[in-house]
Amino acid sequence: MEVDRYVYTLGIDGETFMQGLKQGKIIGRKCPKCGRVYVPPRMYCEDCFIENKDYIEVHEPYLDSYTVIHYDNRGARLEPLTIGLVRFKGVSGGLLALVDGKPEIGRKVEIESFDIPLRVKVV
Amino acid sequence: MKTNLKYRKVAAIGAGMTQFRRRVLDTPQEMAWEASRKALDEAGLELKDIDCVVIGSAPDAFDGVHMKGEYLAHGAGGIGKPVSRVYVGGATGVMTAISGWYHVASGMCKKVLAVAEEKMSPGRPHPQAVFRYIWDPITEKPLNPNLIWIFAMEMHRYMFVNKVSKEEIALVSVKNKRNASNNPYAQLGGEITVDDVLRSEVLVWPVQLLDVSPVSDGAAAMVFVDGDIARRYTDIPIWVEGVGWTLDNTSWPGRELAYPRYLENAARMAYTIAGIERPQKEIDVVEPYDPFDYKELHHLEGLLLARKGEAPLLLKEGYFDRDGEIPSSPSGGLLGVGNPIAAAGLMKVISIYWQLKGTAGKMQVKKPVHTGVAQAWGDLMQASTVIVMRN
Repeated sequence: MEVDRYVYTLGIDGETFMQGLKQGKIIGRKCPKCGRVYVPPRMYCEDCFIENKDYIEVHEPYLDSYTVIHYDNRGARLEPLTIGLVRFKGVSGGLLALVDGKPEIGRKVEIESFDIPLRVKVV
Repeated sequence: MKTNLKYRKVAAIGAGMTQFRRRVLDTPQEMAWEASRKALDEAGLELKDIDCVVIGSAPDAFDGVHMKGEYLAHGAGGIGKPVSRVYVGGATGVMTAISGWYHVASGMCKKVLAVAEEKMSPGRPHPQAVFRYIWDPITEKPLNPNLIWIFAMEMHRYMFVNKVSKEEIALVSVKNKRNASNNPYAQLGGEITVDDVLRSEVLVWPVQLLDVSPVSDGAAAMVFVDGDIARRYTDIPIWVEGVGWTLDNTSWPGRELAYPRYLENAARMAYTIAGIERPQKEIDVVEPYDPFDYKELHHLEGLLLARKGEAPLLLKEGYFDRDGEIPSSPSGGLLGVGNPIAAAGLMKVISIYWQLKGTAGKMQVKKPVHTGVAQAWGDLMQASTVIVMRN
């Protein structure tokens, strides 16, 4: 890839998701047929292949998994950094997050900053 | 090429496209979904009916996402199914249809969704810059060429050998942009004149701004099914009767640029399979690949629809007009509809499919049509793909 830079678009649902973050909300979108809730929201259901319907705010984030990073992509040593895979109750899909506090799989987290990446705190 | 091959008959029963535009808000996946959904709707199928999915896209670097086949899979309906991606540069779009065909023809799948997508606008300042590493690293790379350079040389050679003027070539752009004004999916339809083309900005002589197709984003999709079940879903299956594809050498400086021999080989392969002996008599409508106006003429000759050097004359006589003997690019082609590389090639196949089905609306050509040909071309003027369809 040798162009100077790329200007990506968020996509239709990406816009909605970012607007949600600005308001301190995590927005998902629900398939009217199978009920699956996509987070981040997606325009269509990949299984039913129809347009998803309602945007909904999702709640109750928890740690689905986490890892502790000691080296970066170039091999340089880092202060250990905890990255979590955050999911929401009753929702399929997840978001990456920087994790504060002592992580444990299955534990509830609190969202400290609504950004990309999220910052969450284990409660 | 053997003609007594044993393969299953294949029909196209549905197609869909996004409108071609520049800088669309939708993500590549959303565009792929929109085209796929429309194709399934036209076919009267749901995703669960589809056995396998073929994805076509040109370099990952256009969208700026690596491994684009995988990236597009959920938008193209591929999740949990056999998915394959095809890529032969600009020839990809028609190769996507050909690949859809052989998944069914082989007997492996009954119903295939073939999807092509390209988003050209994320790359700045210009998507042409992604071609930096396709050149011979020793003899060509030091000049830092781009594809428009070498196509300009091809155009110049074609003009010189066949004694063709810029005015005669500009007529292609005039025709295709006019045809595109009847196409609801088109980005750049309209009435222009030969003078407009000749007065447009010189990019790489003899290529001027209105000689070349625009940068576009878009997606296209088609459904191909086994011949035995086609009539369950439609009264008008459109049969894939012949396919052909070739790759010439990358040593393009060693080739005669005035004539696309790689295309003649691909066309002969497709015609042999389709049983076509006299292409000019037997083919009713054609969509040759036209990212540049001279390419349509070059390709009409390679497709054996005109003798070498004869295409400009026939064009001037109206032979390739929408109401002519062999209407060429009735969709408006890449010059008029737009050029999201892989999607543009599949758009050509869809155009022929709609013409043969009689559902091309305002694009429908005047005369009755029974046999149509779509073609695409790419890489270092070396790849070509051809598909023949009948109603």
